[in-house]
Formats: sequence, structure tokens, C-alpha cells
Amino acid sequence: MKKYLLILFTLILSSCSQNENSNEINIYSQRHYNVDELQYENFQKKTGIKVNVIKANADELIQRMKNEGENSPADLFITVDVGKLWQASEMGLLQKFQDKNITKNISPELLDKNGYWIPVTYRSRIIVYSKERVSKDELSTYEDLANKKWKGRLLVRSSSNSYNQALMSSIVANLGPDLTTQWSNAVVSNFARDPKGSDRDQVKAIAAGQGDIAIVNSYYIGLLLASEKEEELNAGKSIGVFFPNQGDNERGAHVNVSAIAIAKNSPNRKNAIELIKYLSSDEAQKTYVSNTYEYSVNPEIKPDEIVQAWGEFRKDTLDLNMLGFKREEAIIIFDKTGWK
Amino acid sequence: MEVKSNNIINSRGVNISTVFVSLLIIVPLAALLLSVFKVSLDNYYYLWNNLLINYSLNTIYLVLLTSFFSLIFGIFPAWFISTSRFKGRTLYDIILYLPLAIPTYIMAFTYSDVLSYTGPIQTFARKYAPEISNILNQDYLQIEVLAIIMGLALYPYIYTACRISFSLVGSNYVDLCRNLGMSQMKTFFKIILPISRVAIFSGLFLVIMEVLNEYGAVKYFGVNTFTSGIFRSWYSMQDVETASLLAVSLFVIVVIFFFLERFTNSKYQFNYSANTNQKSNFSLTNSRRLVVHLVCLIPIIFGFLIPILFIIGNVISEFSRISFSKLFDLIFNTLSISLVSAIIIVLIALLFQFFRKISKSRIVMICSDMISLTYALPGAVIGLSLIILVTSFPNLINSNIFIGSFFLLIYAYSIRHMAVGTSPLKSSFEKHPNSYDDTGINLGLTPFRLFKKIHLPINRSAIIIAFLLCFIDIMKELPITLILRPFNFDTLAVQTYQYAIEEMIPKSAIYSLTIVMIGSILLIFLKKIINKQIDVSKS
Repeated sequence: MKKYLLILFTLILSSCSQNENSNEINIYSQRHYNVDELQYENFQKKTGIKVNVIKANADELIQRMKNEGENSPADLFITVDVGKLWQASEMGLLQKFQDKNITKNISPELLDKNGYWIPVTYRSRIIVYSKERVSKDELSTYEDLANKKWKGRLLVRSSSNSYNQALMSSIVANLGPDLTTQWSNAVVSNFARDPKGSDRDQVKAIAAGQGDIAIVNSYYIGLLLASEKEEELNAGKSIGVFFPNQGDNERGAHVNVSAIAIAKNSPNRKNAIELIKYLSSDEAQKTYVSNTYEYSVNPEIKPDEIVQAWGEFRKDTLDLNMLGFKREEAIIIFDKTGWK
Repeated sequence: MEVKSNNIINSRGVNISTVFVSLLIIVPLAALLLSVFKVSLDNYYYLWNNLLINYSLNTIYLVLLTSFFSLIFGIFPAWFISTSRFKGRTLYDIILYLPLAIPTYIMAFTYSDVLSYTGPIQTFARKYAPEISNILNQDYLQIEVLAIIMGLALYPYIYTACRISFSLVGSNYVDLCRNLGMSQMKTFFKIILPISRVAIFSGLFLVIMEVLNEYGAVKYFGVNTFTSGIFRSWYSMQDVETASLLAVSLFVIVVIFFFLERFTNSKYQFNYSANTNQKSNFSLTNSRRLVVHLVCLIPIIFGFLIPILFIIGNVISEFSRISFSKLFDLIFNTLSISLVSAIIIVLIALLFQFFRKISKSRIVMICSDMISLTYALPGAVIGLSLIILVTSFPNLINSNIFIGSFFLLIYAYSIRHMAVGTSPLKSSFEKHPNSYDDTGINLGLTPFRLFKKIHLPINRSAIIIAFLLCFIDIMKELPITLILRPFNFDTLAVQTYQYAIEEMIPKSAIYSLTIVMIGSILLIFLKKIINKQIDVSKS
């Protein structure tokens, strides 16, 4: 018996030990695309700094960092929803970092006014429509989605999706809570079905005739249009892409950034800065756009051809921190107005 | 006299150690309770008023429907295969276990793709049978469809339990019924089903807990359950305390139901050992044979063949882009972590059942039941509770050593999957008469030798079954791995999920196929052991 206990004990001890290596960097990341692995490999080749990553849900990583406190091994925190970075900064989990050499290449409206995070890519939450049943002229703004003409025709995924939460936060920031509540009430009454599925499923539902327009993320439409499955491609081709709020006095289409920030207690701060520099470089920015359907934060670097075909658009210039700051109000509005 | 007093001393030691180990299992819940005290009641009331009633009703509906379908898919094939002879019986018996190798969320994603407008069925219909394509064009992301899909993914728990139970029910019961002129159906409903209710419940219990802790599939289908409420307050409202309170409430509800069931079912303990040669297979008429084939083929086709063909199709379309070195890394990671964790879980479960058997104390009984009930908690909550636990005492423990270590990961798996390891062991231990222990002790065996000489050999198959089930379950595990894993540690399940959630189902296919294949091999092995067990008790 003692023998077995001893073996067990040794096993436990050995599973606890962690190897220490100074020339490395630890990332807590919500991003988990192949392109990220490629970027880290290239970075490692260039600098010799070993990149360690844990990929999980942003809220889980925030809890892990918060509880780890001063002992946290995290150097960098990367999310695909800037609202989560705002939250992490509010919780005191991040340190400020801005560098003119990095930020000078980035569209100014995408930068953090509070100085915590650096954006690496962005996406827009756009409207897609059935080319068969909707004419482009019928579409105009997010606000117009509340119009009665869309009754039983609007598709969107659940309010637990963080891109929807970010969109609602931007509307709260722009219109105020009362108007947003009215808007959300009307939008919910226009739903073709209960919110469910992924963004791609909304497009499929348009193709299937279950609805005529949908609110989706530009990134997923790119992905769908690159599909090798004929039927999915057909579904993708049956819809048109529309950037809302592009009129003269309108604020522009809602965007959300994927951004990176240095953790408060980063043990390898110098290396962390190196990686931020690298990810903002032309080389890395080109790698992003040629492997995903995201937009580069550097206005000089053009997105993938599929994305370019949708044309250029004007971005909402709202301070992106509002996407986090207004999140709580946004959630309450979702719940109050029955947006599942 | 001396023997007796010795026994009592031992059982005191046993009590203390059982309580200690079960505390280790349940202590993370205590960590959740710590944060419950900080809960803001406003948020709790807010959730109740706006969401939770609706979420709870959905949960009850989903649990009932899924239970219904998994019972249908599990009980009837098990009955026919256990009592009738027909062509294909052995093959059916193997494949009926296999859906257990397919993680629920993969089943859900797969079916949503198969049934969708761009999926193979509707595409085919549009091309060749336009008349019916309109009928097929439906919104399939519905709670009822989800219940069927989860029923298909989870029925093997019930099938396994029934298969053993039906085969072990003494043929004298069946013979008696025949002599009384009862039909096969009547025998089944009047005699076999009531006798097997304890076994069926043990399978159903796992099904229900899987439904309760499911998050990925329910979210995708737009069905909000109680667990959605937990994540609503954590992810959307940034309120970990309320999330903890909800998780603790869920645990308490499950505990209450478990003991209620225990209480009502305690009258119905049957002893299978009265079994004699069971050769009384019912003969089949042609029409009856058709029914039998249909009953077995439905779960086989929909629970295994369709998903696996769809996954294989995707693998073929992506084949040129598969990185095999990465695949092998992931296989190695997955196998090693599942192996170590499954061994540890089975060891703990085994000790608990042994202690339960020799001590006969109430405390040990309750403890050994309690440690199974953590299965109802979503994995992410268990992960969170462990993080809170090891960081609660910054002066005593350097949390750095634990968080992101394999130790904590395996610890979390043990908490989460103890039910899976316990269930087969418990029924096996309960089957053996206590006289073995009494004889052993009277012969002067120490508890350890009693364990080694008697319990280890007579429960051998149950131990292997428990090990295999744990192994497969951990291989499919997702949320705990995501939140607690060490740096750069990916598993097959994690990789599958990360592609699937980013709407790249074809890319995820090779990883899910690998999970299913490894799982299937283990399940075929499991089936062999179960059948051997059945045959042994028949002869």
C-alpha cells in the first residue's frame, strides 16, 4: 500500500513542476485561429523568444488572471472583443502601454483612448440581405432594422454572443438607453425566428427563405464565401453585403477590434513589447489579411480579395472602450426586450 | 470477539479517510460558497425575474424529452438483443455502444449541418425530389430536435445498464411468465422493466446530469437552460458570484433529487444472483423480426452511421491540408492525460466502494454518493472553483505551482468524472453478497488483503468498464481543459471545438474522427467485457 502511495505522491509532485525559461513569453488568448500559430512561429524564428499560449474564453481567462494576481504568469492578453479588454483594464489586470512607433501606422479611431491596448485587426458587424427578395435601397441603418417593413424577416444570433453584445453597447452609447430599448423592442418583434445558431446559420436561413436580412460579422461571411462546398458557396452568393449607417450625417458601421494588452504583472514585459511590435508590423499585418477575412488596422494594408469586393466603408468613430463600458446596460436591454 | 473489535477500529479509520477524500472532491464547491457570500442580491433577483424561471422550465422540458428519447433508444434494443436471436445481433450489439464516442456538441454541430438548407439531405431533395424539398426546408434548431440529438448521443449509458441487467435477470422469471402465457411484451413491461428499474435509473442519472451540464450544444440551438443562466451571469454580466450561487443551487437540487430517488427506490432492491441458464430466447415471427431490426437500426443509423459518414466526408475534403505532426501531438496529449486521469479516478472510486462495503456506515454511504453528484456541474464551473480554491490562500500556497499544472487539471477531471467511474463499480459491488467479506475477515484477512484477494478479482470487469468509460469521457472533455490546461497543451477535443466554434466544421473533422475512432475501439473492448460478464453468469 505504502509503495503505491509513494508512486502516487511522486506523480503529483512531478506534475506540478513547471520549467522556467527566461527567454519566453506567455499569452492568454481568446484568438485561436491557424494564423495566430503562424504569427507566433514567425516571431519565434525572428527573435528566438519562445511563445507559450493558453487559448480559452475571454471571461475564463480574466478570472484566471484575476485570481492568480501577482503570481500570474501571463504577459499578454489577447481578445477578439475589445469590451473584454476594457473590462480587464477596469479590473486592474492590465498595464498601460502605447508606443508612437507602433500606433503611427494604425487608424487613429481604432486606438485605445485610455492607453491600455493595441488593436491588431478589426471586423465589422454588417447586414446581409437576400439578393432575390430585398433591394439594397431598402437598407439604410441599424436604426432602420426597427422598421415594421422587416416584420418576420430579420435573422440574428443569440444575445449571449459577444459580437451582438458589442453592437448593442455601441447603440446604447450612440442613442442612449431609452431609445435603444425602444429600438430593441421593435427589432425583437421583427425577428423571423428565435435567435440561435452561428452567423453562418443566419446566412443559410436566408438562403432557405426563413428570413430576408441578417445581422452578421464580416469575418464569417468571408469564411463562407471561401467555402469549398458548392451549396454553401451558393448560399453565400445569394446574399449581398451591406455596410449600415454610411449616409452623410450617419456615424458609420459598427466595428470591433481584436486587440492585445500587457498584463499588470507581466514577468517578461520586454518580450511582450517585442511581440506587440511584431504583430503591428507590416509583415504580420499582411499575414493576418492573407490568412483570415479580418481587416488590417493599418489602413495601407488591403484585406483579402473577397473582403475587398464588398468595397470600402466608413467606420463608427465611437470610442471603442464604450463597447465594454456600456455592456451592462446592453445586457439589461437584451433581457428586458426579450432578445434571447 | 477480537475480530469484531478489530473491524470496528478499522471502520473508524475508514470513515475518517472516506470523509477526507470526499471533502477533497467536494471542497471546490466550498470555494464557490465562499464567493456566494459576496453575491449581490440585486443581480440574483434580476436573473430570477427576467430569465431563470424560463430557463428552469426549459431545463425541465429538455431533461424530460432527452430522458424519454434516450430511454427509447436504449431500453428496447437492449431488450431484444438480450432475449432474442436474429441475424446481425452481434454486430448491432457492438455498434449500439458507439455513439458514446461522439461528444454531444459534435453530434449537435454535425446534425445542424446535415439537416441544414445547404446540407446533403436538402440539397439532394432540391435536385431530385423538388416536391418534398419544401417540406424538408424547416428550422431544425429546435429544443425537440436537440432532445433527440442528445438522446442519440447519450442513450448508450442506458443501453449499457439495461444490457447487463436484462441479461442477468433470472430466466426463471421469464420462464414463469411464459408458463403463465404472457407475451414477450407483457413480460417485458410487467416483470423485466420493474426489476431493472434500479439499473435503468443509474444510466438515466448519467444522462440527466449530462443534459444539465451541457452548454455548447444548448447555446448553439438557442435553448436557454439553467446552465445558460450560470454562464449568462458569468460571461455576460461579469458576475462570478451569482454564477457560483446558481451552480451551488444546481448542485443542491441534484442532491435532493438523488436522495429522493434513492429513498423511493430503496424498496426495490433485487438480487440477480438467482439466475439460471438463460436460454429461453423468444422466437421471432417475420413481422416481429422487422420490428426488432427497426428498433435496433434507428439508434445505430442516426446515432452513429450518419454522423460518422458526415465526419468522414469532411475529412476527405480536407485531407490534403491535414497536419499529421500536429494530429499526432494532439493524440499523444489526449491519450496520456486521459490515461492518467482515468486510472486515478478509478482508484478513488474503487476505494470508496470498498470502504462502503466493509464499513457499512451511513457516513461512508452518503460520502460515496455525494462525490458522484458533481457530474451535474458544468466543467467550466469546476475549473473556476478550483482556481478560486488554490488562490484563496496566497500566503499559504503559491498558486503559480498549481494553476496551469497537470495536477490541477487531473484533479478537476477527477471531480468532474467521478460519477462515470463510480457507476459501474457500485452496481458490481452491490451484486456480491456480504458473506464474502465476513468470511474473509473471519479468516484473518486485513482489509488491504481482503481488497487485493477478493474485491479486486471479483470486480475485475467492472473496474475495466469504469476505466474505459472514464477514459472516453475525459477524451471528450472540453471546458475544464480549456480553462485549466498548461501552456501550449491542446487536446483533440479542444482542437475540434476551436474549429467548430469558428464555423470551420470541415477543418475540425479529422480531430473529431480521431476521438470517435479511439473511443470506438475502446467501446468495442468494453462490449467484449460486458458480454463476457453476461455469458459467465449465464453458464
